[in-house]
Amino acid sequence: MSSPAIGNRKKWGLFLTNLLLVLACLVAILPIATTVIISFKKQADITRNPPVLFPCDTPQKRFDLSACRWATEGYQRVFAPKPSESSPLGFVLTGKLVRIYIPNTLLYAVSTALLVMIAASLAGFVFSRYHFRGHNALMAAIMAVTGVPLLTNLLALYQMGISLRKNFPFYDDRVFLIFVYVGFFLPISVWIVKGFFDAIPRELEEAAMIEGCTPLGALFRITVPLALPGMASVFLLTFVNVWNEFIVAYLLVSKNELKPAMFGLYDFLSQNIINLQVIAAACIIIALPMVVLFLFARNAFLKAMVEGAVKG
Amino acid sequence: MIRQANYRLRRSYPFWLLLPTLVILLVVQVYPALYTVWLSLQERKGSGWVFVGIDNYKKLLGSAIFSESVGHTVIFLVGYTALTLAVGFGVALLLKNTTLFSGAYITILFIPWIIADIVVGLVFRLLVVPDYGLLSGILQNPALFPPAGLSVLTANRPDPWYGEFPFPPSPAMVFLIIAAAWRALPFVTLLILAALQTVPKEVLESAQIDGASRWQSIRHITIPLIMPAMVVALFNLILGGMNGVGMVFSLTGGGPGTSTYILSYLLYSIGWSRLQFGRAAALALIIAVVNWLLIVGVLRITRVNERSR
Repeated sequence: MSSPAIGNRKKWGLFLTNLLLVLACLVAILPIATTVIISFKKQADITRNPPVLFPCDTPQKRFDLSACRWATEGYQRVFAPKPSESSPLGFVLTGKLVRIYIPNTLLYAVSTALLVMIAASLAGFVFSRYHFRGHNALMAAIMAVTGVPLLTNLLALYQMGISLRKNFPFYDDRVFLIFVYVGFFLPISVWIVKGFFDAIPRELEEAAMIEGCTPLGALFRITVPLALPGMASVFLLTFVNVWNEFIVAYLLVSKNELKPAMFGLYDFLSQNIINLQVIAAACIIIALPMVVLFLFARNAFLKAMVEGAVKG
Repeated sequence: MIRQANYRLRRSYPFWLLLPTLVILLVVQVYPALYTVWLSLQERKGSGWVFVGIDNYKKLLGSAIFSESVGHTVIFLVGYTALTLAVGFGVALLLKNTTLFSGAYITILFIPWIIADIVVGLVFRLLVVPDYGLLSGILQNPALFPPAGLSVLTANRPDPWYGEFPFPPSPAMVFLIIAAAWRALPFVTLLILAALQTVPKEVLESAQIDGASRWQSIRHITIPLIMPAMVVALFNLILGGMNGVGMVFSLTGGGPGTSTYILSYLLYSIGWSRLQFGRAAALALIIAVVNWLLIVGVLRITRVNERSR
């Protein structure tokens, strides 16, 4: 079987496969790479016609590495550093994106992910371990709820927000927004967590209970530690979903200082129609944390993704 | 028996553990859905809401922009799902055939999925900004696209070929499809790859021994075996495509003209730009019903699949 011809063909096949995959990776990376390049250009190189990929041309040569005109103007305009005596670094960042919008996003994403994780774990545990009347109907109902499009519910939630704001002195946009986010991302999370609980054998809990553990004790000492990876992926998935979410905040948040980063980014677009380097820099600053998070927790993401897709 | 006894000890546990989830879902999902049904039968007149019956539906279905948007949505969905599924299947096959660096490939290929749709829209917009975008430098070349070059964000839709149906699509719509597919591709690739890994090697080998060509074994063994995963991917793509509005927002803003108005963007536009909430509610319900039909479909298919396993 292993004649040299077949061996050669295999080698070629492998080479071709890898070549195509490298090509696919390039397609995946190229738009991002061009954005990074744009973010480091000067205004004068942005508004050139015809456009150039690298700002490295001289009147004599098309590409000269020593003549590259890289600039951090875009980032400076986003961060807007100002010298300050009291700050340990000697300057403070005054850009709205880093001072207001990203901290807001962090607050929304962390609290939503935490609440979703807790509620989904409790519900997922019940659906996985208890059988009661209406069990399946309730699970199907939770699935059906996932099918209501975001925008459909937003019509009502928008009106709800307006009337709460009018009639309720303690109303807070942030609490309402987090509550809405939890409601949106909870159903799919319940299904995902149930899947993870299903994979943990009941016998472990039973053994603990025979040894004299209470049901809740068995839950927290045996089941929860084993389900922790699953709960973590639900946390991560929700965190990223909220971080990347735009339309809900766009419609429900009214005050400037409560806007999350994606909303702030949309504002940047209208203020910087021609300053492409500023838009690009803002995009990079917002997307980079998620990319880094993904690189560190790749498997948790991929697992939750498949689990969520098949269930939802 | 012990298990049964112990779980019965506290019969009310399930209820209390489920309570937070149920309350949140009732407030954020169930009540708004019912409210939308009510809203779709109302119209704002002067000081308050007035019951107008199915008037909103009539006006919506009779409007030209609605049928145009349905056309755009169909074109968008067909283009986006076909492109994503075909390329996703190809990439998944390639990934399955290599063990070398597959971890590195997967990591890089998956980066688009982690980037927000609104950022993806902006990233692609930067490429085709009139005059200054990098792709505009190529596309706006009159030698390549006579007579005046192609400016993706401002070029109008060509005259439709079939009555009012907006085909061929505008360049902006094509670009929107490419951007959306670029972002959805990792997701589809992963689903198909996971399914490919469950295809038993022995079956493929025995087919090879029986003289099946590579293409034949893909066509007659691999594709039927991963069909359920393809269907799951398809439904997820359709749901995401129907409901996702962020990319339209940041990439085209619905334009040029109305040539990238898909139904979800039309809903936003009727509701929040024109403040016709009653009519928007009617449209929202139509979209929701279509979504539900799709979900019931996917449930059927995955159930059938489980039973046969």
